[in-house]
Amino acid sequence: MSEKSGIEKIKEASDSLRGTLKESLRDELTGAIREDDQALIKFHGMYQQDDRDKREERAAKKLERLYSFMIRLRLPGGFLKPEQWVAVHEIAGEHSTGVIKITSRQTLQLHGIIKSKIKPTIRSFSKAKLDSIATCGDINRNVLCSSHPKESSIHEEVFSYADKISRLLMPKTKAYYEIWLDEQPLLDKKEEEDPLYQDRYLPRKFKIAIAIPPNNDVDVFANDIGLIAVIENDTLKGFNIAIGGGLSSTHGNTETYPRLATMIGFTDTEEKTLKAIYEIATIQRDYGNRSDRKLARLKYTVDKYGVEWFVKEIEARTGFALQPAREYAFTSRKDFFGWAQNAEGRWYYTAFSENGRIRDDEQTRLKSALLTIAKTGKANFRFTCNQNVIISDVLDADKNSIETILADYGVSKETEASSVIRRNAMACVAFPTCPLALAEAQRYLPSLLEKIELLLQKHALEKEEIIIRMTGCPNGCARSYAAEIGFVGTAYGRYNMQLGGDRIGERLNKIYKENIEEPEILSTLDQLFGTYAVKRNTNETFGDFSLREKWVTI
Amino acid sequence: MNQEKNMLAGPKQTLLTGLTAGASREELIWISGYIAALIEGGEKDTAIPEPVVAVPMPQKITLVYGTETGNSKRVATELAAKAKKKQLQVKLASLDQYRLTDLTKEENLFVVISTQGDGEPPVAAQKFYDHIHRNGFRLEKTKYSVLALGDTSYPMFCKTGEDVDAQLEKLGGKRIVPIRKCDVDYEADADTWFEEVIRSLSQTVPAATPSIKVQQVPDIKSNKLIYTGTVLSHINLHDTGSSRETYHIELSAEGVDYLPGDSIAMVPENNADRVEEILSLTGIDRTRTIPFKESTVTVYDLLRKKIGIVFLHERVIKKYAAVVQQEIPEVRMDLFTLLQLYPVKNTEQFEEVLKILPAQSPRIYTIASSPSTHTGEIHLTVEKDVFEINGTQTTGLCSAHLSQVAPGSTIEFFIQRNKRFRLPAPEKDLIMIGPGTGIAAFRSFISERDATGASGKNWLFFGEEDFVTDFLYQTEIQDWHQTGVLSKVSLAFSKSKSTNIMVQHKLLEHGKEIFNWIESGAHLYVCGQKTPMSLEVESALLGIIERFGGYSAKETQAYFDKMKEEGRYSKDVY
Repeated sequence: MSEKSGIEKIKEASDSLRGTLKESLRDELTGAIREDDQALIKFHGMYQQDDRDKREERAAKKLERLYSFMIRLRLPGGFLKPEQWVAVHEIAGEHSTGVIKITSRQTLQLHGIIKSKIKPTIRSFSKAKLDSIATCGDINRNVLCSSHPKESSIHEEVFSYADKISRLLMPKTKAYYEIWLDEQPLLDKKEEEDPLYQDRYLPRKFKIAIAIPPNNDVDVFANDIGLIAVIENDTLKGFNIAIGGGLSSTHGNTETYPRLATMIGFTDTEEKTLKAIYEIATIQRDYGNRSDRKLARLKYTVDKYGVEWFVKEIEARTGFALQPAREYAFTSRKDFFGWAQNAEGRWYYTAFSENGRIRDDEQTRLKSALLTIAKTGKANFRFTCNQNVIISDVLDADKNSIETILADYGVSKETEASSVIRRNAMACVAFPTCPLALAEAQRYLPSLLEKIELLLQKHALEKEEIIIRMTGCPNGCARSYAAEIGFVGTAYGRYNMQLGGDRIGERLNKIYKENIEEPEILSTLDQLFGTYAVKRNTNETFGDFSLREKWVTI
Repeated sequence: MNQEKNMLAGPKQTLLTGLTAGASREELIWISGYIAALIEGGEKDTAIPEPVVAVPMPQKITLVYGTETGNSKRVATELAAKAKKKQLQVKLASLDQYRLTDLTKEENLFVVISTQGDGEPPVAAQKFYDHIHRNGFRLEKTKYSVLALGDTSYPMFCKTGEDVDAQLEKLGGKRIVPIRKCDVDYEADADTWFEEVIRSLSQTVPAATPSIKVQQVPDIKSNKLIYTGTVLSHINLHDTGSSRETYHIELSAEGVDYLPGDSIAMVPENNADRVEEILSLTGIDRTRTIPFKESTVTVYDLLRKKIGIVFLHERVIKKYAAVVQQEIPEVRMDLFTLLQLYPVKNTEQFEEVLKILPAQSPRIYTIASSPSTHTGEIHLTVEKDVFEINGTQTTGLCSAHLSQVAPGSTIEFFIQRNKRFRLPAPEKDLIMIGPGTGIAAFRSFISERDATGASGKNWLFFGEEDFVTDFLYQTEIQDWHQTGVLSKVSLAFSKSKSTNIMVQHKLLEHGKEIFNWIESGAHLYVCGQKTPMSLEVESALLGIIERFGGYSAKETQAYFDKMKEEGRYSKDVY
């Protein structure tokens, strides 16, 4: 077996993810933490970042990089109570940049927290019964679930699985409580023995999502494990299970590739479903590549050993056979903006927040609106994988007052006025804080969309719900490989243009043009839209047309 | 020369001939000035400094790194620490902090640089990379070698390192060790490369000491050597968002003799616009000459350079009132305000006023550079002084000027000796307490000890308002700590915690250890604000001695007095 990667050694030597984090926090000389701890702090839900826009200026001033930390909450299924939203709002104002970011994985993250403010931040979260355990790092991350309760009368039942799975795969270490919340160290280390993660954790990140058909808003096949709820006659029959999805790749490394999950079967009871999930994780723990992190996701393990072998191994470890996958059908992959009512008569308002950035600007004071709503205590908050917020579970009697707040703060106007293309679009964080970014994403996509909107109008396509996504690097956080038009950053101002993905997330796109800049992006799209407008069949999506027209071959 | 020849007896004559024989014109002028100053009895202020240590100067190398992920920095810092152990004098700099104009002066240049994914240099090294790819200069006296960091899984493996290596040769540099390219596990390769570098350095002879140059002849009357320094760089050390401005200013000062602890003094010029306003308000002829001290000057020069016209003392206000025979409240005011509110009758009366105005006094700034590390340069740390007079915000005349000097402009100054603030013997331990601009003296001390390889331990206490925006010289202090020159650093940022933590609190926090250091002979230095900082520091120190020495108040005072007598407690406060 080839040698373990550096990160593997750090994990094993970390004393259950403690490392030297306490010493790093005490070091007054720097706003950074020690290098090994930078790998470990991810397991506690944080990334060390620095303001890349300020590197040069600060270096000239003999100041180190402006280090700060991003903290990501664990919110299975993306759900918050109103008093928790108030807490997040206040914490964001006090210790971070003030912007609350809805991620593409249904949770919230805050940016710009300096080292000395991490502990106060986590303490405040803890008071609101929130934590950031295992939201980054080589471990099961935040568990996703289709967010809109109108999708099914048994949404609540399916949704509860997100929390069950999250708890099932939580690490046993108490390091989080000791380091960040000053709890007393354990006297008996046996209490934190971890049969699942042992001292190795997983070889790489591990993502799970649950989709409730017909909407694939969670992009279920982009996950290591995708569960599709099978519902017949308003009863949950069980879950179809797909494994080995993952969208990251590395430029110039042909061994890496984005991959959609492969359907392997069906489980019909809660016990069996959870057991299968658990053992898929243990197989990945035991067989995943631990020497090359670029080849360590579950997708490579599945492809290396084969799906058949993998299913047999699951069956051997669980002691039961998987049933054949049941019928299901996805028809969409989007959020339904505006008001909707569920089976029990509760109301839901999905508000648009571009790239998930909750803040106040001149026209739309979304952040203030959400705070005002939260303070009434009359709504819960749900976050979608398309980075929008659903003001949830509103009683019929309260709907008017919530509506007034949404109008007063300009939220309903913004949601209604935004183009369909913009509402379906998504971008990752990228510059200035993401250390992996090669090109801009969330700071750039809004202005690019303005120009794309004009092209669509020119070709009378402005009602087409084409999915456009942009990432600043090939790691795919905003799932650009699963878009009808994907932009993957290659260098500052340059992107690969990807075409041919379908609308519902069951087919990846392919590179159409490499390394192009904005003028070429726009002139290319102008041509493509022109052809599409003239030659498409009725109801043919842009993604399907791209394939039929052989712009790319899959 | 014949007459002088007769003056001196044999050996002295030989010495003088030896001294003057190969001297350049500038050197002769300097020597004549030096001797003239000796005749005037100015020994105190113009003496050539006593050498700090009697060890031979170590060979100097410059080690620069261009880093994206921090690996190059880590390698360079470790190598710098190794080099210091081998008695080499190392200048370690990140390429984004390296002054590109220094490149042609480098004699031993070693570059540690990584390559980004698509064969590009790290962002921090981009300026350096572009600079060496521009023509127009030669590196005739530069010996160099490159350590390239990369990742073999990328096609452009170590491309930036190769480019730099080739380009330095093209510019005339002499490659003394071939480029070494390292993969992700770089440690062993880096060590081998550096051993080769050190081996090849030990085979070369250190370059001759540069000849002494002096910009100006001595001002015989004041016994001061007045120098003209050119501003090389000028940086506000605070990040945007700070309420304060502290400037790091680097001056070329070839041949200026000073020691760590010394200050420079400069006479500020009054604001030219304000002088014009005064001339037009009073109608006096700018070219009219009037007596000043033992000579005469024009009215314009007098107002611009010789006398104080801002923030005049109450005493001067009183004299002004007497000249113009008006009732004036005794509060500090500018001359221009006085002239507006209480005008002079005519130009004759204004001439009377000119006589009572105080001579412009020099402003003193502690030198922040070390003669051994920053050869041929003087660095200053100047905070822009902002204060209120009668409710109006005003800035200090000199610091306002220094906050704006552009690179390339010149500053006239002389050296103000500070014999009571000198580095102790190299093996002594040092505790340095220098919050704010007090860091200046200690940047000089630490750099000097670093360069000369002094064996004593060094402990720095520094304080400022905000960790993020106000940590003056942060990266230098980090480098000193990493390479081991600074054994300990204790920091107090008053805005970082809810409590108002200052250096004196940090002293108390480490009381026991400080007392141990003092007991084992450490020397203590305080630099910076006189009130309240230095007083509070002193009372904290007394408290520490009393508590951990178990002394009575009287015994504590005696202990402290003895430290002062032994020269183990020194202050440079203002």
